[in-house]
Amino acid sequence: MTRWTLGAWLGGLAATATTLGTPPARAQAARDPSAAVIATGAEASVPVPTLMEGALASTANTDVADQLFLHLAELGPTLMTSGDRAFEPALARSWTRRDSVTLVFDLDPRATWHDGAPVTANDVVFTFRRARDPAVSTRLAGVLRHIVSVTAEGERRVVFRFAYPYAEQLYDAVFHVAPIPEHLLGRLPPAALATSAYAQAPIGSGPYRWVRRLPGEYVELAANEKFFLGAPAIKRVFFRLATDAGARFNMVLSGEANLMDNVPPPRDNLDRVAAVPTLRVVAVPSPILGYLLFNQRDPRDTSRPHPILGDQDVRRAIGLALDRRVMVRATFGTSASVPYGPTSPLLWIGHRTPPPARANVAEARRLLAARGWADRDGDGILDRNGQPLALTIMLPNTSGSRAQLALQAQEQLRQAGIHIELERLDFSVYTERRGRGSFDIDFAATSQDPSPTGLSQGWSCRGGTNFARYCDPAVDSLLEIAGRTTSHAAETWQAVLARIESDYPAVFVYALNYLTIVDRRFANVRIRPESLWLGLREWTVSSGARLRPAGY
Amino acid sequence: MRRWLAGRMLQAAVTLAIALVLLFLLVHILPGDPLAREGERALTPEQIEDLRRRYGLDRPLPSQLAAFLGGLGHGDLGTSIEYGRPVTALLLERLPATLLLGGAALLLNFTVGLWLGVRQAVRKDSREDRWLTTLSLTGYATPSFWLGLVLAGFVGVRWRLLPAAGMHDPLGAGDFLASSGDVLRHLILPAVTLSVVSIAGTMRYQRSAMIEVLRLPYIVTARAKGIPEHRVVWRHAWRNALFPVLTLFGLWLPILVSGSVFVEAVFAWPGLGSLAIAAVNNRDYPVLMGTSVVVALAVVLGTLASDVAYAVLDPRVRRS
Amino acid sequence: MSFALDAARAVWRTPRGRAGVLFLGFLVLLALVGPSLVPDPFRQFDLLELSSAAPSVDHPFGTDQLSRDVLARVVSGARISLAVAALAVGLSITLGAGMGLVAGYLGGAVDALIMRFVDGALAVPRLFLLLLVLAVPDRVPLIALILLIGTTGWFATSRLVRAEVLRLREESFVRAAEALGASRGRIIFRHLLVNATGPLLVAATLGVGDVILLEAGLSFLGLGVQPPTPSWGGMIMDARPVLDSAPWVGLFPGVAVTLTVLATSLVGDALRDVLDPRGA
Repeated sequence: MTRWTLGAWLGGLAATATTLGTPPARAQAARDPSAAVIATGAEASVPVPTLMEGALASTANTDVADQLFLHLAELGPTLMTSGDRAFEPALARSWTRRDSVTLVFDLDPRATWHDGAPVTANDVVFTFRRARDPAVSTRLAGVLRHIVSVTAEGERRVVFRFAYPYAEQLYDAVFHVAPIPEHLLGRLPPAALATSAYAQAPIGSGPYRWVRRLPGEYVELAANEKFFLGAPAIKRVFFRLATDAGARFNMVLSGEANLMDNVPPPRDNLDRVAAVPTLRVVAVPSPILGYLLFNQRDPRDTSRPHPILGDQDVRRAIGLALDRRVMVRATFGTSASVPYGPTSPLLWIGHRTPPPARANVAEARRLLAARGWADRDGDGILDRNGQPLALTIMLPNTSGSRAQLALQAQEQLRQAGIHIELERLDFSVYTERRGRGSFDIDFAATSQDPSPTGLSQGWSCRGGTNFARYCDPAVDSLLEIAGRTTSHAAETWQAVLARIESDYPAVFVYALNYLTIVDRRFANVRIRPESLWLGLREWTVSSGARLRPAGY
Repeated sequence: MRRWLAGRMLQAAVTLAIALVLLFLLVHILPGDPLAREGERALTPEQIEDLRRRYGLDRPLPSQLAAFLGGLGHGDLGTSIEYGRPVTALLLERLPATLLLGGAALLLNFTVGLWLGVRQAVRKDSREDRWLTTLSLTGYATPSFWLGLVLAGFVGVRWRLLPAAGMHDPLGAGDFLASSGDVLRHLILPAVTLSVVSIAGTMRYQRSAMIEVLRLPYIVTARAKGIPEHRVVWRHAWRNALFPVLTLFGLWLPILVSGSVFVEAVFAWPGLGSLAIAAVNNRDYPVLMGTSVVVALAVVLGTLASDVAYAVLDPRVRRS
Repeated sequence: MSFALDAARAVWRTPRGRAGVLFLGFLVLLALVGPSLVPDPFRQFDLLELSSAAPSVDHPFGTDQLSRDVLARVVSGARISLAVAALAVGLSITLGAGMGLVAGYLGGAVDALIMRFVDGALAVPRLFLLLLVLAVPDRVPLIALILLIGTTGWFATSRLVRAEVLRLREESFVRAAEALGASRGRIIFRHLLVNATGPLLVAATLGVGDVILLEAGLSFLGLGVQPPTPSWGGMIMDARPVLDSAPWVGLFPGVAVTLTVLATSLVGDALRDVLDPRGA
């Protein structure tokens, strides 16, 4: 036992490592270019449409379910949820309207389940019976509450009846749940489905069929060669698990996975992706919106208006004093933009809006001066009746990007003579304070649905998440009209946004895009914001020449 | 011997029972609601009430404890909030990966650790002895996740020598030989990380056991007889210094298990550790509880096995 | 007390022990006065240039991805990490000694009860005990974290002290003193102080290292010291994404943890060698 032995041992280890360590990217691409490995942060547990309730309504489950189960129709490229025209046919070949509360779907006769059985109207009826039963699916039943009945007319025709006329009937009928097979599940009691063999190897009607799940590692799907809309070019899909975002990113960088939902922060990571010649970044609208919410009520006594922020001109002045473009660029680079009104990039009503107001510190100072705010004691902070123009911004300490933005806001407002204190709160304290209305300015972030009807939660007088007690009857009635009209939906929604913008209940700071990572060998890439990998069935694989870029 | 064994096993059973009750009380007595979640996936009060009923959290504590222990009796650890599946099934799925990683780390730890420990004992108080001690302590002092991050970042991502994450290459599924090679490739970095941070203990025990043996008269005699030093050390002395160290493997279990939590997270190794981390992130406390139960069971069994092994090798224990 | 001095002198005479003591002394000094020498790590944002800069004269350890000075954060982190470790270990040593004393001295049912509890508690690794407790509430304040780490670390110490008490109970001089009418409790307590101080000191020194590692690990999982308070583990976690592009951000806190734990191990080892020369 000498030095020699140690050397031999280490040498052996190194030799083993190098022989075993062929570069995974090259090996993988060479082996099967028509496979896609998606790095995910959570494991799909029951990717079955009617089962995804509570904690199971996760992206992990929907991502897999959307490959296995085809919806009746899908959102079109405009992401418009209102009316019947913007949607793309899927399981349903076409739809017609009998009257303002009746929608009729004709199923595509070519559609089959993965076991070969045809998809029938009875499957749809069965699915909605399950989905609308509050005892089975509390969440879905709530979402689908405006649907009165779903009935079959023959083998291929399904009739939906709604409680009253409104703009998003088709959206409600197709978006929230995809049909499940009655011939396999009809005799299974609803409660037994979650633990059944079916839930462990679901049979659907989508472009991919279930192959297997390797616990803690990946879910494997294979192309459904008999898929009636055309067999996918990507033959195998893996949802590969790495709970830790860093490990997930490592997988993609080292070529062990070739798709990922978002480049994890900070901005520097974009450079790391750029350094890998086989990868590219595709920006996709996200549902994330961040805004500075002004409390309309006095935090100490909510029966009174807020002593400073109750004044619309002060709110407008704060909005004008902030250069949101500079703030967003410093924090997110190009992956976020400044929204007009409460619209995340996912929300279709924000797509054709006028540009948000530009910063104008002079105008802000003029507005404040007109309301009696002036720096009388020369400390750089405006005051009125001996009271300084001082406010606090509260934000949860879980968010790094909001902390950065808040610091910048603090600095910019200081230059306008407004003193800002920052309060970074524990998340539980933050939600509790928000619920009580105990804040001046709340730096909030929210994740929106594709449907704009969700706006009434935050911005109508009785909205469930209207923590600032913002109440403008004009906004309320506009929201009401926009939810019902089918003819001028876009214009009505624009009016809602314009009204909110001019009221300044909040300064809308950022609308985030996801920066998905995509291997360059995939072509015809269309990433769909409402479900990132939904369009995978239409992607193609480019020829072998581009598989091995220089340097490999 | 049989009576000693029975007594020792009873003791282990009691220890395990106490550990289980302790775990249960820890989760249920402390303030905080395991069902209250933050952010995007927040549940409504009605949903929380519903879950509360489903998980029996609305019942009085003693009845919950009885249900918990009763369930354990036939292997029922409840249902995962995140997966909607029985916790026992989840744990069983993940156990093999953890056993593989732990086993590999233990093997590496023992082969290298025992060998270095012997070298140290033979060259007691030499410069090499001191340096090896400092080096092994440095390994112990390094946070396992930090070492793992550095190895994954450089060996895996930058130099592309070995996979940075996972256990199987999804496209590597081939014959048995190819897929074993694939797993082995993925295993190297996490196993090395785990053994580096735990090797100091093995070296220390082997070193002191060996020093004691080297002082014994029969070694002196052997040397006096002119038997080559190499033979004296490895044939005569090491055999007697090995077993006391080997029996200690039970004590390594807690260290390996705790270390594997971090290592599995960093390398996305599909074992119990990453399951536990995911459970922490999702506040999926039935799964977290289940993992802790498995760990407690492993520790108790490991200690028992160590004691038994020691007793078999050293009959004095039995008599006392 | 002369005993402690002797031990300290003996440790000082070994080169490794001395290195450890010197480093720990330096660290304590740094934790006490350092934060006032470096810029405030809470307000170190350069609003226009939010990116990490390599080590330079201005920033010897570089800056992190929020343009905060890494040196300033490592120094402030030293105060947090050491304070957490010292307080938690103080608590667990006190608890352990107390429980061991009670168990050993009273014996019988109390002893059995405490020791079975200790057996059970030792069957679950400390990390898992803490995960279970910390995973449920959203955020845990620093003081609660210290209390939790402290109350999950006394089990092994209590065994040690109990064994010492049991040994003392059987000593002839204790029995003799007892026969002469002295209070047995007082004798045991006095001798215990003398005899158990050494092992307790070793346990405490090594315990500090363990707690620093544990705190770093918990912070890495997002369950330890909460941002923006800088702790070494939290800094390593924050540094993950820039490990490749700005390695200094994670390197220095990692080295700080390693050196500190190494120093406690060296001192602990040296102490153990002094107290029990057989193993050396």
